[in-house]
Amino acid sequence: MFGQLIISGLASGACYALLAIAMVIIYKTSEVLNFAQGEMAMISAFVTFTLLDAYKIPFHWAIIITFLFAIGIGIFFELIFLRRAKDPSVLGLIIITLGFEMILIGFASWKWGPDQRSFPFPVSSIDTYNFKGLIVSKINFWTIILSLIVMLILLIFFRYTKLGLAMRATQQNPMASKIMGIRTKWILSFTWALSSLIGAIAGILIAALGVLDPPMMMDPLLKGFSSAVLGGMTSLPGAALGGTILGLIENLFGGYISLSFKSVVAFAVIVLVLCIKPSGLLAKHFVKKV
Amino acid sequence: MFKKTFILLGMCILFICLNSTPTSAQKVRGVTETEILVGQWGPQTGPAAGWGAVARGTDLFFKIVNEEGGIHGRKIRYFLRDDSYQPAKTKAIAKEFVEDIGVFAVIGGVGVATGMSVRDYLMENNVFWFGPVTGVYEWIRPFQKYLFAMYPLYDDEIYTLTGYFYEKLGLKKIAVFYQNDSYGKQGLLGVERYLKEKNSTPVAKVSAEVTDRDLSTHALKLKESGAEASIMITNPSHAALILMECAKIGFKPQWGTSNTLSDAPFMLQITKGLWAGMIHSNFIEDPDSNHPLMIKYRGYHKKYAPQERWGVFYIAGILFAEPFVEGLKRVGKNLNTETLMKALEELKDFRGIGGPITYSPNDRQGAKHLWYGKVRPDGKIEKITDWIKVTKW
Repeated sequence: MFGQLIISGLASGACYALLAIAMVIIYKTSEVLNFAQGEMAMISAFVTFTLLDAYKIPFHWAIIITFLFAIGIGIFFELIFLRRAKDPSVLGLIIITLGFEMILIGFASWKWGPDQRSFPFPVSSIDTYNFKGLIVSKINFWTIILSLIVMLILLIFFRYTKLGLAMRATQQNPMASKIMGIRTKWILSFTWALSSLIGAIAGILIAALGVLDPPMMMDPLLKGFSSAVLGGMTSLPGAALGGTILGLIENLFGGYISLSFKSVVAFAVIVLVLCIKPSGLLAKHFVKKV
Repeated sequence: MFKKTFILLGMCILFICLNSTPTSAQKVRGVTETEILVGQWGPQTGPAAGWGAVARGTDLFFKIVNEEGGIHGRKIRYFLRDDSYQPAKTKAIAKEFVEDIGVFAVIGGVGVATGMSVRDYLMENNVFWFGPVTGVYEWIRPFQKYLFAMYPLYDDEIYTLTGYFYEKLGLKKIAVFYQNDSYGKQGLLGVERYLKEKNSTPVAKVSAEVTDRDLSTHALKLKESGAEASIMITNPSHAALILMECAKIGFKPQWGTSNTLSDAPFMLQITKGLWAGMIHSNFIEDPDSNHPLMIKYRGYHKKYAPQERWGVFYIAGILFAEPFVEGLKRVGKNLNTETLMKALEELKDFRGIGGPITYSPNDRQGAKHLWYGKVRPDGKIEKITDWIKVTKW
């Protein structure tokens, strides 16, 4: 049972980690918590579903089109809603993301209806691999692998590309970046696009792991947020680590201590981390000197 | 001067009398000479939105009633509101129904917590409530004068299902996967009640919260119990998730469930075929059956709501409204809560598209019959019993 719990925990944790990374990318740039992250991911998953189910497009093309859509929706949201906000405070921007979330969930319910759907995914959600007695479902295995690949690409992107460097610079000091010739507004749009793209990957994986319906991201988003807090809201490796730890804690807690409290353990973790290490596991805690 | 004042005063009194007499005679909230106002809430969005089809099915039925001339010259004006399965929203809707719209009756309403949040408010305001769309004891205990329950009780339904597994199929090790609320708990009660009579207990009792999305640990717990049969009392999303998680780890017991998940074609689709072999009860005739009323309703469905899927929960909206409309017909022109209550108390074995419905002055549980079936891979249900009485009183 221990091995199964670890595998399930890693698969859930991988999805939480992707959502946490998507949130942290935005937070680092603008200190905005994007509460529409889950619904943006859900809409992207529905777009893939429609392309596959209604238009019978091959899976790889459906994924490419969905990724373009996700990038588009991220840029659209930043340009149309956030950039146009007059004298925006951080709280005001957060409220705008909440409003956008409501719009998206309403749109999804209207467009695709409230019924649950089975998400067509090339990897079977039932078939399993047998690793010397440890049964691992194919969908869990590939969820973990795909998430690791995405994280690795992000690591390379932020560390070794000029664009990644420009993003990090903008995140650390927008004014200095502007003076150095970085087009910070463009970088901000790109940040939202990248965040939306990572969210879309998480959304597709979550839909493939279970069922597709408009409220499907409510629980994972909260867990993603908890993961980001656990790892540190300003640390990308922290978000990845936070998601993984949270997935494992949840499953081991549910398996060995109490199943009834499995779903609330994430929130207990938030409270605990905020009390002991408010900056999270891997982020540095800055104190402003007055 | 005195004479003029006297005449003016007399005219005022006459005006008030003439004006007030007819008004007080028609002072039944939500009933006019031409209309009866009826409301229903239901989750059109959120985790239980699949059950929201019930409220839309009722809309179709009222359209049919109105097209056929209404009831004693009155048409039904129907108000449907989305509560997203959230009690706070249900409360606001009930307040709107009573204080803004002024409905005569509330019909249906999916959810125990949602219904319970407004039950007392509706009863205190003498609002007639017919057929809450859940089979729990809260609607009949304590006895409410104007609350008529229609849905078969989960406790009795699952008790009978457990008996079928235990005696007919010889499956003695039974586990339960249930939603952690009144709905799930009253289903669990049925399993425990039956097994207690056999000096046994469920081998595992695994609960989940409505918002949970990761049920992998739940599946492992069920597998660890070594259950031969597993009964789920849950919502469609959780039903699909738990079946998939159990399949992933190679746990394949005989599954059984409540009629709340009796929409077999839909469940087969969202579970990628894993629903085949499921045994569950049914509170309504097969949607594709040749029952004369079902044929008639299917015709109207094509006319008024072709965009709606002709599934169990959509037609359940018709089922819950049929006895209500029958009561309205029996009342005649003098419609108020008292006359409707008396008319419904006289219903004996009324048949629409479900089982027999009977009420009496001290019994508010209308439906006591169900039939059981096994889901075939093509989505059809193979009958394993006829309509049987599950509630024995």
